[in-house]
Amino acid sequence: MGNFAAKVRRQPRYIDLDLCTGCGICADYCPIVMGDAYRENLALTKAPHRDYVQAVPASFYIDPEKCLFHSHEMCRICVSACQARAINLYEQEEMLDLNVGAVILAPGFGRISEEVLSRYGYGRLADVVTGVEFELLTSASGPTMGNIIRPSDGEHPHGIAFLQCIGTRDVSCGNGYCSSVCCMYAIKEAIVAKEHAPDLESSIFYMDMRTQGKEFDYARQRAKEKGIRFVRSRVGGVQAKGKSLEISYVDEAGKHLKEDFDMVVLPEGLESPPAAQVLAEASGIELNHYDFCSTLPFSPLKTTRAGIFVAGAFQGPKDVPESVTDASGAAALAAEVLKEARGTEVEAKTYPAEIDIEGEPRIGVFVCSCGTNIGGVVDVQSVADYAATLDNVVYSDTNLYSCAQNTQEEITETIKENRLNRVVVAACTPRTHEPLFQETIKDAGLNRCLFEMANIRDHCSWVHAMVPEAATEKSKDLIRMAVAKARGLQPLPEQKLPVTQKALVIGGGIAGMTAALNVAGQGFECILVEESKALGGNLKRMRSTLTGDDPKQLFQDTETKIRSHPLIQVHTEASVEDVSGYVGNFITSIRTNGSSESVEHGVVVVATGGKPYEPTQYLYGKSGQVVTQGELEERLTKVEGAKGINDIVMIQCVGSRGEDLSYCSKVCCGQAVRNALKILEINPSAHITVLYRDMRTYGFMEDYYQLAREKGVMFIHFDKDDPPEVTEKEGSIQVEFLDKIMGERVVLEPDLLALSVGIVPSRSEALSKMLKTPLTSDGFFLEAHPKLRPVEFSVEGVYLCGLAHGPKPISESVAQATAAAGKACIPMAKGYVTVEPIVSFVDTATCIGCGICEALCPYSAIRMIKVGKRKKAETISASCKGCGICAAHCPSLSILMGGFTNEQILSQIKALMG
Amino acid sequence: MGESKSGSVMVVGGGIAGIQASLDLSGLGYQVYLIEKAGSIGGVMAKLDKTFPTNDCAI
Amino acid sequence: MVRESFEPKIVGFLCNWCCYAAADSAGVARFQYPPNIRAIRIMCTGRMDPLFIISAFSVGADGVFVGG
Repeated sequence: MGNFAAKVRRQPRYIDLDLCTGCGICADYCPIVMGDAYRENLALTKAPHRDYVQAVPASFYIDPEKCLFHSHEMCRICVSACQARAINLYEQEEMLDLNVGAVILAPGFGRISEEVLSRYGYGRLADVVTGVEFELLTSASGPTMGNIIRPSDGEHPHGIAFLQCIGTRDVSCGNGYCSSVCCMYAIKEAIVAKEHAPDLESSIFYMDMRTQGKEFDYARQRAKEKGIRFVRSRVGGVQAKGKSLEISYVDEAGKHLKEDFDMVVLPEGLESPPAAQVLAEASGIELNHYDFCSTLPFSPLKTTRAGIFVAGAFQGPKDVPESVTDASGAAALAAEVLKEARGTEVEAKTYPAEIDIEGEPRIGVFVCSCGTNIGGVVDVQSVADYAATLDNVVYSDTNLYSCAQNTQEEITETIKENRLNRVVVAACTPRTHEPLFQETIKDAGLNRCLFEMANIRDHCSWVHAMVPEAATEKSKDLIRMAVAKARGLQPLPEQKLPVTQKALVIGGGIAGMTAALNVAGQGFECILVEESKALGGNLKRMRSTLTGDDPKQLFQDTETKIRSHPLIQVHTEASVEDVSGYVGNFITSIRTNGSSESVEHGVVVVATGGKPYEPTQYLYGKSGQVVTQGELEERLTKVEGAKGINDIVMIQCVGSRGEDLSYCSKVCCGQAVRNALKILEINPSAHITVLYRDMRTYGFMEDYYQLAREKGVMFIHFDKDDPPEVTEKEGSIQVEFLDKIMGERVVLEPDLLALSVGIVPSRSEALSKMLKTPLTSDGFFLEAHPKLRPVEFSVEGVYLCGLAHGPKPISESVAQATAAAGKACIPMAKGYVTVEPIVSFVDTATCIGCGICEALCPYSAIRMIKVGKRKKAETISASCKGCGICAAHCPSLSILMGGFTNEQILSQIKALMG
Repeated sequence: MGESKSGSVMVVGGGIAGIQASLDLSGLGYQVYLIEKAGSIGGVMAKLDKTFPTNDCAI
Repeated sequence: MVRESFEPKIVGFLCNWCCYAAADSAGVARFQYPPNIRAIRIMCTGRMDPLFIISAFSVGADGVFVGG
């Protein structure tokens, strides 16, 4: 551990990454047309190609299997067509030897085989498509530009059937597990399709609708309201019937039905990645029985080999937010292992001292031809000549490729020779290239804010290719405007604010404890604040898990580590009273036993947890025969606990999914299955009936659900509008419900009724206000982005994990807590936070202290301070994103936006007409 | 072995998980080798048009 | 009498994160559109000050486009 030797085989791209400008001329000239694998072969591409225009790296590469040179040693047209001379058809495969301290495996997932898909007509019937193919058909950048058509005849389909559980929850193809994502993406595709073509009718044929993720049930509800039809059924097969497709299925009542559709979509499941075996062998890790990476439930990101971690769908089928969470968590674990070596292999670049730019602006204009991308349309020489006539422009010339390494060096020299103090590059987009040119001028001793770009490629030559004269005129206008802005550019300091290398973790359950341990493991101090007397939270109440792992052991191990860690300070019976400051520099007041203590810290992890819902329905609290699953779990720790109970009924979604709580609590289906299996272990002849809405045993949990069914547990579905009725008669309870298969109401008299209650969030309004971190309508904390920033808040320096984010099982809480800790360590590891020079600056001399800016700032980046006797606004630079809402609304024009001042923008506007 | 630990990490796979792990590791002060077998990073998410439940753009 | 076609000059204020990016994508995809717009990049359309719009018209712009 800490030292791995890896051998990596690098395949040739045949096009040099650094030289290729992404112009695509090679592809224009290439005579080979081939199927575009990235677009599921629904479109065509050339042998030199890139997968999509935003691809990273942006350079093209050649498919040697199709390239004429590689197959027949001929052609080579692309080599001479490439102006950047980036193509080398003789490039060879390379072996790289890497020495690394840790490894993260994130190979993703594999696709369901065509053999399995063919059972539903795929391959045989043209209008049966996979979910990914359908996704491309709905995509504006897809092969049909978002036009949904039937592959067979190009006509618009009216009725589309989505068939769920394709190649998943299907032991016949070896994939007994649930793929956890297909329900969601089917609904998404159905909604998107409806938006494209409102007359389109989509029907989703499913067994259980597993939309257990955060806010997912709401989306399902919206889909229903939009007219998407959900059919609980089992599909038998798909047959051609004239121009349409006939689906045969069995509905809930057991009736055999047939229905015609124009198109069938198979939102197929996820399989273990094709490279799983090879990767496992090469890295010395073990796989589980489905060929996914083998992990333990309480350490979900660790493979069987120390120092090698796993992230994403290789750990088990999962959606984007969980993959992103795993990734941050795996990074955090690697960082923990390598804490002594942090920073040893990364070098900080140095720059010459900044030169003084006093006096008249001396502007240099560099006009890029970008090969023929700009030069082929715009007359770059006349544009450069025109630029030279503008006031303050002392240098103007053209470059073939401004971004090329050698041109960069030339620009640096030109700046020095001509004593330039402002630079304008007329080329492509500042969104990708501004940082590069800013580096270049920094190398010449100029502050990076003395730079401006004119986008004469993306916004001009590329989009006005048919009108070269007009494009040339427009280029002149754009350069004139850029030069006008450049005149007013001022150097702005690159602020670096120090970060207090200490974290505050709020909440001492499994999430908070896990986060604290990782933060401390990475070498940073950590304060752990817990409201109650003891650590452990909900974990302390848990007695067993589906997988047979012991939560008690987990609690004891974790608590021991926490208590003995020199970098962790635990405050129990403590609460957060007040928080002020910003990322890197928070000051928090913690109240313990009536006294307050103020602590300084750089980051905050919110792990305030949740608790079980307390039911009032189904005679809970009135009859001794009615218990919650948690209480049953406690009872089943002893063999006597199952004695005398032969008939058990369990009711799912008690309080959840539309009763008191509108969301799904994610863990209750697993709990019910676990308790059912536990009872059968003690008393194999027990009769267990589970009344459910949708069994949401996603991922590998599905195995246990199937096991429970095999062992005779009865699972009976009920509708939200027709829940079971529980009554008491002569001291014993009765449960009445509709059995749809029998078509009649059934009354059971169980010995015990177990209620699967959901999870409610802790009361968090006060904390939410203090941290300026919003809550969802359900009372959970709202993360910065549901997919891509699942453990962060839009307020910087504050992170989120565990039940405070939403209901989830232990393994997901552990992964999320590790991720939050990893994110929290980033500013601490850097030791400072950099402030982009685009932030706002308040001129206190003219500020009238009205507070409009403070109220409007979406990032809480402005605070009101006292200057003498007057109130003034002040920017918290570390939190500012440079949006400029404050500047636009300031009644006294006292707010300057770095690089986007009123004067700069107005001078750009004034230069419009030349 | 007594060798000192290396300050670099190899990330195998350039999909959304591999990319995120690489970004975080680099933020934490480690050199990252991101290994991807396809011609560009992005994995499956780059193929998606929209994401559930908000139907945000996936790219 | 042939009327000379009207070629308006339009100032576009484009948000760096969305509309400016979209204009870049239009370029990458080689969508062709008339060459009448001159884009000014801002970091967010929240930056828009009515002053910008008025001064654009006052210097002779025929239209103002705010994209964000």
